[in-house]
Amino acid sequence: MRLSEARVGQDFEIVAVRIPREVGRRLADMGFTEGARGRIVRGGAFRGPLHIRIRDYDVLLRRCEAAGIEVLPLYIEPAGVSEIPVQGASFRGRHRNGAGGRWRPGHRGWRLGGACRDSGVFSRPEGGV
Amino acid sequence: MSALAPRVVRVALAGNPNSGKTTLFNALTGAHHKVGNYPGVTVEKREGSRVRRGREFRFVDLPGTYSLTAYSLDEVVARDFILDERPDVIVDVLDSTNLERNLYLCLQFQEFGIPVVGALNMSDEAEAKGIEIDAEGLGTVLGLPMVKTVGSRGIGIEELLDAVEARAEGRGTELRMPGYGAELETRIDGLQALLDSDPAFASRHPGRWLAVKLLEKDEHAARIVLGHPRTAEIEETARQSVSWVERHFGKDAEIVVSEQRYGYIRGAVRETVRVVRKPDFSLTESIDKLIMHPFLALPLFAGVLWSVFQLTFLIGQYPMGWLESLFERSGAALGSVLPDGLLRSLVVDGILGGVGGVFSFVPLIVILFFLLSILEDVGYMSRAAFATDRILHTFGLHGQSVLPMMLGFGCSVPAILAARTLKSRRDRIATILTIPFMSCGAKLPVYVLLAGAFFPENAANVVMLIYAIGVALSLLSSLLLHSTVLRGEPTPFVLELPPYRAPTLRGVLWHVREKTGQYVKKAGTVILAASVLIWALTAFPARTPAPGEAEYLAALYASEHPRASADQAEAWAETSLATAALEYSAAGRLGKFIEPAFRPLGFDWRVGVATLTGFAAKEVVVSTLGILYRTGLDETEESGTLKEALRADPGFSPLTGFVLMLFTLIIPPCFASLATVRAELGWGWLGFVVAYFLVLGWAIGFAVYQVGNLAGLG
Repeated sequence: MRLSEARVGQDFEIVAVRIPREVGRRLADMGFTEGARGRIVRGGAFRGPLHIRIRDYDVLLRRCEAAGIEVLPLYIEPAGVSEIPVQGASFRGRHRNGAGGRWRPGHRGWRLGGACRDSGVFSRPEGGV
Repeated sequence: MSALAPRVVRVALAGNPNSGKTTLFNALTGAHHKVGNYPGVTVEKREGSRVRRGREFRFVDLPGTYSLTAYSLDEVVARDFILDERPDVIVDVLDSTNLERNLYLCLQFQEFGIPVVGALNMSDEAEAKGIEIDAEGLGTVLGLPMVKTVGSRGIGIEELLDAVEARAEGRGTELRMPGYGAELETRIDGLQALLDSDPAFASRHPGRWLAVKLLEKDEHAARIVLGHPRTAEIEETARQSVSWVERHFGKDAEIVVSEQRYGYIRGAVRETVRVVRKPDFSLTESIDKLIMHPFLALPLFAGVLWSVFQLTFLIGQYPMGWLESLFERSGAALGSVLPDGLLRSLVVDGILGGVGGVFSFVPLIVILFFLLSILEDVGYMSRAAFATDRILHTFGLHGQSVLPMMLGFGCSVPAILAARTLKSRRDRIATILTIPFMSCGAKLPVYVLLAGAFFPENAANVVMLIYAIGVALSLLSSLLLHSTVLRGEPTPFVLELPPYRAPTLRGVLWHVREKTGQYVKKAGTVILAASVLIWALTAFPARTPAPGEAEYLAALYASEHPRASADQAEAWAETSLATAALEYSAAGRLGKFIEPAFRPLGFDWRVGVATLTGFAAKEVVVSTLGILYRTGLDETEESGTLKEALRADPGFSPLTGFVLMLFTLIIPPCFASLATVRAELGWGWLGFVVAYFLVLGWAIGFAVYQVGNLAGLG
């Protein structure tokens, strides 16, 4: 599943980063590589940025970047991240991007400038897990 | 000390952002450092030195980066410094609480073939979190000495210098390169053998580093290879290696390289770092539960911003008043010493009036920057970016635009410079173009005067409304620019969220001194020059009063106002002469010349002159209007009379007053800000800024005035 589809509080393991060019490279530099484990700590309201803990540090990521990261949800608590409190119980499940379906640009809510769909970031064909 | 040892050791201090690098730099160099820019770019360069046992350590603080690609200007600067200057030792500052990601940069430095020393900084925090690091073991595995330090308390500094000295003398651990696994190593070795086949080339460019970079498809590396006698052969081998790696691993070669680095680090860390107890995130976590609440984050941010301004103006008004009266008194004192004439006018009205007006804002700016620096050092700015990114992104901006925009309420000059924290040029330009909409401290007196004159019951609300309009316009304008001149890819928002840290007084004062210094420097240079220029425009050509004119005017006033004292009549005559002189001067003529352009907005030539003089500094608009409305030259204390004069003017209505506030808000900023725009973005963007804000200010003023008139508000 995509990182952007995961719930708040979800532990995950990265399967692949499917964002080409500098952005994918930057994410790899920041530790978003295959096998890295983390947790979604919280998400901003109205599809605001995600707060992610990965490799023992915290990072903010927009959901459009998170949509390019393929993760495996973990239900066994990984060592090191199990004690992270989680915020947004009331918010759970509110930011799904179409339940497990394909990424559809039209379904991303109110967007004016700066939407990720005109960046061509996700122009690659891809398959789900 | 060996005989071969250099007397001067050149050390580059590198590391991730938030690794405590600057604190460690201060601890290493003491108070003596020099701040400049790297040649040709607007990235700050700090240098400092320390002499120990007859040997000098010269430190250069490299910009904080996560990697060494060409992703940002900071990374390019750090890379080029290492390649061009070849320092004797690189000290890599590592955040001990976050080793894996910090070591990622460290490995890249090792590849340059320059000795690296790792500073395991913030080791006290790591211990408090239950992270146990075997520094010696980690150093042995990775092949570089590791020293535990606590920059904020000066712990481990001597040991760090010992290690640097040993490395500079060639003692200690042998250089070792990070491993990439057998498959990649074969390719790297092949490329390196080819690269090192030319001894002259190999002596200038570290072969292993270049081989890895070629595998990462780095464009800079590809350009370096053009200088090799066997360019074609190397390019072909690189191409084959990349495509082999991509086929073998099924993903981009540069991603494979990153993953292998992290794999190598993972192995080293697993052997030498133990988490003895569950990590304790409690304090930062519980604060963030409130501060970063999905729905409350934005209102809380607005509350923080509001409190900062309230506090700034509450505390700031006292020192501001003292400075104003100091400048006034020194003006009066100088006025009585200097002979009456051009020199006195230049010094008192031109220089003291212009520069003094700007300097009286220094306390306000110091307080605002002090408060904002505390927020920055505590780690709040990343939270503010979290709160605002959703909105700012909608308008083509970035969560990190928020700090420069906030600084803009104080002074545009440091605000424009603060946009350097944005990594892409497009985002920097977009952010800088919002700053003029943030009403800076100098625009406030103009609003206060006009709101007080025309909306006496609601003055504070009207001023707040103008501020709010400014913010709204900045967002709308960004959206407009985003869909026109600033098209292009939105940059990703990948921002580290550091834990909250107690700010140090030293760090905060450093920020304040730096930002205030930028403001004072502009006031001392650009504003001084602009003040003199505008003084000259208002003083020449000089109008010589006819003999007995002053006496005649005084008598006229006395006859019209039978109850006025002789002093009042004299003062009135004096101001009338000043007004006549201003009308006669180049500025007055220019004002009349451009009056047709101001007419559709409801302004007469006096507003034109005031606007022109406002380019020196916006608050000068008030004193110019004071002169033009014959209410006396020292407007700062007597705005009451100017307010009455404006209200009495039939050409001025509440609508015109409001339009003038809007116009002052939007038209191009003062010379100092424009000079900063030129320095940061070049002449082309300077021209754009001037034209854009002039057109926009005029168009909005025109629309509001005409619509208001039709609606019968005039």
